[in-house]
Order: sequence, then C-alpha cells, then structure tokens
Amino acid sequence: MSGAAVAVPSMATGATGAVEVSGLTWRPFGRREPIFTGLDLALPSGQRVLLVGPSGSGKSTLLRALAGVLQVADSGDLSGSVTIDGQAPHARAGLVGLVLQEPGSGVVSATIGRDVAFGLENTGVPRDQMPPRVAAALQAVGLTMPEDTPTHALSGGEQQRLALAGALALEPRLLLLDEPTAMLDPGNAAAVRAVVGEVVAGRHLTTVVVEHRLGPWVDFADRLLVLDRDGSLVADGVPEAVLAEQGATLAEQGIWVPGVPAPEPAALGSALFGPGRLGANEVAVDAADVTVRRSVRTISGATQTTVAVAGQWLQARAGQSLALVGPSGSGKSTLMLALAGLMPVDEGVVRVHPTLAAHGSRHPADWDTVDLARTVAWVPQWSSSTIVAGTVLDEVMTTARACGLVESEAQARAVALLDLLGLGHLLQADPRHLSGGEQRRLAMASAVVHQPALLLADEATVGQDRLTWAAVMGIVEGLRDAGSAVLLTTHDDAVVARCDRTLTLERPAQPAPVVAPRRPLVARCGPLSLLAASTLAIPAGVVSPHWTVTLVVLAVQAALAAVALLAPGEGPRPQGRLRRVLVRFLPGVVGGLSVAWSTWLLGGRDLELTAGAGLRVLVIVLPSAVLIPFIDADALGDHLAQRLGLPPRPVVASAAALQRVHTFGDIWSEIARARRVRGIGASRRSPRAVLDEIGALTVGMLIRSLQAAATLAVAMDARGFSTAYRRTWWAAAPWRGADSALMAASLLPLAVAALGHAAAG
Amino acid sequence: MSTTKLHTAATRGVSIRATRPLLGWRTVDLLTVAFLGAAFGIAYWGWGIAYEAPAKALGLAFPPLQGITAAPWLIAGVVGGLVIRRPGAALLCEVIAALVSMLPGTQWGATVLVSGILQGLGAEIAFAILGYGAFGLAAAMLAGALSAPLEAVYEWFVYWTDWGMGYKVAYLAILTAAGAVIAGGGGWLLTRSLARAGALNALPPGQEVREQHRV
Repeated sequence: MSGAAVAVPSMATGATGAVEVSGLTWRPFGRREPIFTGLDLALPSGQRVLLVGPSGSGKSTLLRALAGVLQVADSGDLSGSVTIDGQAPHARAGLVGLVLQEPGSGVVSATIGRDVAFGLENTGVPRDQMPPRVAAALQAVGLTMPEDTPTHALSGGEQQRLALAGALALEPRLLLLDEPTAMLDPGNAAAVRAVVGEVVAGRHLTTVVVEHRLGPWVDFADRLLVLDRDGSLVADGVPEAVLAEQGATLAEQGIWVPGVPAPEPAALGSALFGPGRLGANEVAVDAADVTVRRSVRTISGATQTTVAVAGQWLQARAGQSLALVGPSGSGKSTLMLALAGLMPVDEGVVRVHPTLAAHGSRHPADWDTVDLARTVAWVPQWSSSTIVAGTVLDEVMTTARACGLVESEAQARAVALLDLLGLGHLLQADPRHLSGGEQRRLAMASAVVHQPALLLADEATVGQDRLTWAAVMGIVEGLRDAGSAVLLTTHDDAVVARCDRTLTLERPAQPAPVVAPRRPLVARCGPLSLLAASTLAIPAGVVSPHWTVTLVVLAVQAALAAVALLAPGEGPRPQGRLRRVLVRFLPGVVGGLSVAWSTWLLGGRDLELTAGAGLRVLVIVLPSAVLIPFIDADALGDHLAQRLGLPPRPVVASAAALQRVHTFGDIWSEIARARRVRGIGASRRSPRAVLDEIGALTVGMLIRSLQAAATLAVAMDARGFSTAYRRTWWAAAPWRGADSALMAASLLPLAVAALGHAAAG
Repeated sequence: MSTTKLHTAATRGVSIRATRPLLGWRTVDLLTVAFLGAAFGIAYWGWGIAYEAPAKALGLAFPPLQGITAAPWLIAGVVGGLVIRRPGAALLCEVIAALVSMLPGTQWGATVLVSGILQGLGAEIAFAILGYGAFGLAAAMLAGALSAPLEAVYEWFVYWTDWGMGYKVAYLAILTAAGAVIAGGGGWLLTRSLARAGALNALPPGQEVREQHRV
C-alpha cells in the first residue's frame, strides 16, 4: 500500500481530499462491453497516484469519472459511486481540478487573467475578490506575464500551466492530470512537472496523474496503479516495489517501464514493399535556404509577422531515416509541410530528385493531388481530421485507389499492415469510432500502402504503448529499407536513437514585436452600441425615398465613419484602417451592383429606380463594415449578460465559441492539406472534385468543431460551469460616453432619411 | 435508465428525446449549439459569396425563384433543433450563425441578424408544435418550411420593396418549399452524418446511431 498516508489537512480548505470509488461500472452507448465493471478504489488524503495502462485501457475515462464529468461529453450506462470526503465530485464547483491532455483545449477566454477567473465567476465570487486569487494562482504555476496576455500567445507548456492555475484558483482537494506533458517538448514537459510537484507539495493535494511514460513521474508518485486492457486493476502499490516485482510483465503488456530499453521495431516481411524508385542514398528531397513566415493580425489592427522557419537547409535521402528534433516553436511541422509542398515558402526552394519529378516539375507545390500522393506521404499530428472513408479498409486503401494501383496487391499489403498495427480485426469498423492512438496508427498505414518515395510523419509515436510503438517503427523502418526517404519529427528519444541521422532545429529569431498603435475613436465603444448602430442602418436604408436622398444619407455615413476611424493621441499611427473597411465593404458593393442590375432589368430600365436600389444596399451595409470589426467576443458576452440581462450560461458558451472562430480557418486548411496529399484533393482536372472538396471540408470542419466543443464542455464543467446560474463577472460592462456619442451619431443618417421620406410623402 | 428501452426506441425509428428536464441545458448542449452556429456562420458567409451567380441566373428566369438560393441559410436552425432537441436550440443556433456570418462583412450588413432571429424562430415553432418529441425527416422538413415565412415577409419590406404582391407570395411559397427540401432534408442528412462520424456522442442523435451500430 501507499507509503505516504500521513493525512495533514490542507490549511486552505480545512479538508482532506480522500477519494472513495465503489462499484463503478460504465458502458458508453455503442459498446457491448463496459469499460469498467464494479471498480473499487480508495485514495487516502494527499496521496500522489500514478495511473498507467496500455493504450485503450480506460485511464482517461477513470479520471473523468473521478471528476464527475463522465457524462458531459459522452453518454452511457453509469452505476456505482465516486465520493471526495464523502461528497459527490460535483457537490462543490472546483472540488476536483482537471487538466486535459491537449494544451489549449480548455481555454475559455482571450486573456490569461480572465481565463483563470472563469471558475471564480462560475462560483459567484465578487469581482473585487477575484484579482488577488487570480494573481496567486498564476504565480503558483510560474506564469509571470501580464494578466492581459492573449491565451493564444502561450506555448503548449504555458497553456498547460494556465489550465493548472484555473483549477488551483478554485482550491481543489483532488487534482487530476490527464497526460499533461504528452504533447510537450522535453523542456516544457519538465517545467510542467516541476510546477505540479511544487503546487501539490505546497497544498497537500490528493493527485492522480495519467501517463504513458511513467519514467519522469516515478519520483513524484507514492502509489502506482496499473489498469489492463479490460479496465481491471492489475497492480497497485509503491512504484518502486511494483516495478521491481512486475516490471517485466508490465513492459510485456506495453507499458513504458523506466529502465527497460525500447523494444525492437517489428520486422516486416521483406516482400511487403517492392523496390524503391531511387537508388540508395540519393537525395529524395532537398530544402535549400527555406524561410517560411506567418502573419497574424492582432486585435489592435497591427500585423505581426513571425518567422516559422528561417533559412533552413535539409536533405532527405532514399533509404535513410532523418529525425527532426527541437523545441516547440522551432518550425519542425512547418518545415515538413513545406517539404510536402503543402505550405508555400517565402524564400529558398524545395526540390525533389529529378526521377521523382511530375510533368517536368521538381516542386511538389506545383503538382496535382494524385501526383503528390504518388510520391509524398504525410502523417499529420491530428490524424482524426484526415479520415475520409467509412470503414478502416476503405480508409487505408484511399490513396492506393486514387493512384490507380492494382486493387488485390494493394489490399494484401493494406491488410498485412493493419494486422501488424493491431487493427486487423477492425477492417469493417468505422475509423471515426477508433481511439486516438488507433487513429494515429491507421493514418500511418494509410500513408504507406502505396509505398511513397518520401514519408513525412509528424510525432507518429505520441500516445503509443510499447507494442504499438514497435509496430509503427517497424513500418517506418520497413519503408526505409525498401528505399524510401523517411523524415520524422519527434520528441521521443527512442525514435531518435533508431534514426540514421538527426537534424536539430532552433527557434528562429523573431522580428521585434510591433508597438501597439493608437486606437481609433470607435474602439472606445462597447459591443452593444456597435451592434445597435449597425442595425440602425437598416431603417435608414429602408425609408430613404429617392436616390438623391439615399446618396446624401450615404455621404453622412461616410463622413461619420471617417471621424470614427480617427486615432488621435500618442504612439504609432494605426495601419490599414481604410483598407480593412473597404475589404468588408466590398461584398456590399457587389451586392449593391447586383441589386441595381436586377432592378434595371425588372424595373423597366429606369435609371433612378436602379440607382436608388443599389445605393440603399450600400447605406445598409456601410456602418457594419466600419463598426463590426471592433466587437470583442468577451466584451460582447459581458454586455449581453450584465446589461441586457440575458441568461449567463448561453451567453458565455456563445462567447467561447466566438473566441474560437479564428481556429476554424486553420482546421479547414489542415483538412484540405490532408486530402490533397492523399490524392483526393481538389484537382484542376476535375471541377466536380472541387464541389466534393467543399462539401467534405465543411463537414470536416463541423466535426472538428463539435469535438472541440465536447472537450471544452468537460473543461468548463470541471470549473463549475454546469451550475453557474448566478454568475459574477471578471469585467464590468460599462456604458460609456463613447457609446452614447455613437448612438447619437448613427441617428443622424436615419434622421436625414426620415426627413427625406416625409418631404417626399 | 434502461438501455433496452433506448435500443428498441432507436431501432423502431422513434426519436430519443433530450434528457429531462427539457429546459435543463447541459454545458455540452450549450457549447455544441454555439460551435455549430459558429461553423454554420462561416459556411453562410462563404455561401454569401458563392450564391450571387446562381441567384442572379434564377432571378432572370423568374425573380421569386431566388427563394431557392436563399434556402441554405435556413439550415442552422433545423440542425440546431435536431441535434440538441431542447426549447431554444433552433433559435440560438441560427442567431449565432447569423452573428458570425456578419463578422467578416457581407452584402447585407446587420440585416442578417434580424433574419437569423426570424428564421430561427420559425424553426423553433416547428419543433415546439411537435412537443420537442419528434426529430425524424418529416419533423426536419417542417422545421425547414416554417423557417421561411417570417423571413420572407421581412424580406418583402427590406429587399423586395419593388415587387408586386404576386411575386411576393410566390417568393414566400418557393422559399417555404425550398426550405423544407434544402434546409429540412439537407439538415436531416447532415445531422445523421455528424452522428455517424461520432461528433454527437453526448447528444440524442449520437445515441440513436451508436445503439444501432455497437462495436
């Protein structure tokens, strides 16, 4: 049993955090067998538990059960009980703190201070008491930047620490960490572990950590729990003792036991792949002095350019594997996309071997989707978004079919690969119902069936246990030995050790951050006046009687817009104000012309009617083009709830969704890339494929955003959102002078229109 | 709760209702409807750009036929209602979609927000008539159809001011029929494919699919 059962009640809460699980049974709908059957478990106060098990054993599920959020993002039959100090986990909001695996998946707000305050808002803490608690939580996890730092500007490790701070602000008694470092580079992972160690020691929290690789956590834990593939507890005790007694057995089951060397990659039959297209050691792809930049427009209107890859040289050779390593932010994934022709390069050149050229071009970016698929394979980090078929077998055959390979030969190879990866019994299963680890392995199989000359795999071994790791690496090495060039980005030392060569990337030097420019006058207005002023344009347009009056109304609007966009004061001049308005106004101009044209044709070619109809559209649209960009999602939520009294939970959920809208574009391009490299992307050869593509991308974007919603629901409920009917708010929702001024100003065009109407009537 | 009952309900083709109480929105209900609405908003914006050419072509043949190209904008309310199955879901989904489609700038400015409210209200009325208990193809088509009338009448006053009553009534009829087929039927198909993709596991359509295809 545990070595640290010295129960010292936490000073902060006066409580202990003893956990009792009895008879827990859980069967999600759609599975015949339960994940747990009658599970019993007791954790004394302050115990630090390391929970491990092979891929698919239900570790994360058990964590969600302990947090009382099992049925938040899933549905099924649940029985038995979980209590913390005799109470249900959701008896008090924040009693159980939960940190999820994917950095950023639980982010609710645009700034870090507000994000930490989310739980405090849900539990009705008065606004004036929030700042000290937020500051204390941020300090505890070592986030020292200003509280208005944007959440999306944090690194993965910082986002994990932010999630921890959000949990700590509610003074939990039980802390649950679901593979908190699985997606982090070694530096960030160590920082997160150190912070967890400090926080847990300082607050005497009962803690459960789920990890695949238990090595770095062994010193932290005083109890090790092992689940087997059926969700039963097979080992329980002091980590050192369990590992000494059962280490070899656990390693055989696939658990990464510290001190046991990495397994040998599985041996593929040498007949599986045919001869490669290039001679050994020929350069398959060559990046010369490649630079990739990215531009992000900040909320203040300034454009911030970051350098993702700076002047990078790289050669990937046939019959060799190359490990691409470096901290997160060093551009590994971006460089890989550039090599695959999926990301345009700003400087430098990417070239393949002349033998691999398609239609005379050595640049993959120029190729058609099928030509690209034939030569290049890419396994993305998020393999769930690349799923395109309804069964595992069709999924794995997609590219082979697109390339026109002989069906029987390709299928034999596909089945052999799936067998090796432990997916052989799932040929007819729906790939979207597989676990994350299974989907990653499926993506690997799908990438190599057609034996591409170049394989690019992004973190292919994340989340794999020893057995599946050996299978994935076996495939990588089998393809290499058949003469393909293989490039792997990885944080996994065991992968690096197997690779023929290693290339370490450094984080590129970044241009100095732009100084925040002066703000236009309109930026002082709150969201409600901005929305109302935009809406007042509708009656102004509708009542404008004649094209002359409408033109005057439009002129008044334009003059007011010019005033609204003035930016007096100190500091650099804001750039691109007019351009942004014009870009947003452009659809309005097109719409106006189109309405005018219809009126011209239908209205007896009357020039005055035509001008009136077209101008009316412009009057309705112009204020929106100027004002809407200044609406901030968080502020909109604040005002709708506090000023208009709308129900708080729908308002907060909507604001959280608005906050994520900017990620939808990234999702869209990621799915588009995956389809293109698999040979089923939009093609110049077939316009029909373009329509299919748009449909597939829209559905793909919906699916991914719904998955994000489900994960966010878990994170929000773990911070007390499910009972937040009487919420307090981190920020006030003031109605300022600027708001009144805007309302008065936007009544002016309406008054002109109404006067014209009265005069005409 | 008995799974056998659920199972047979799903296989008999009877809709699974949302958990009781119907007004007890769970967090995942709120976030699902908000994210759905936001994603539809982006798609709406894209359709706003793509729609001009086909709408003009139909308008040349017979102006009220533009009701056909307007029908895709009714889909968010239908899908929101079919997925969440609670009072207010259809309205909220369509309003969020309208709000998001307005953000990047469209040819309609803030009028889309008014449209979103009227369309969502129409779909909401359909689900309310059915007591939030039926979510099959017929219910979806009813919701698609009822999304149209309020919107059509509003458009009479904002966009089609120059039309005679004959055109206006024809537009209302065409938008209603197209709403039933495109937004209703299309929304039903989309909901089914989202459920099959495992994206609705915590929600009634996901339960219906999963209990029919156990692994």
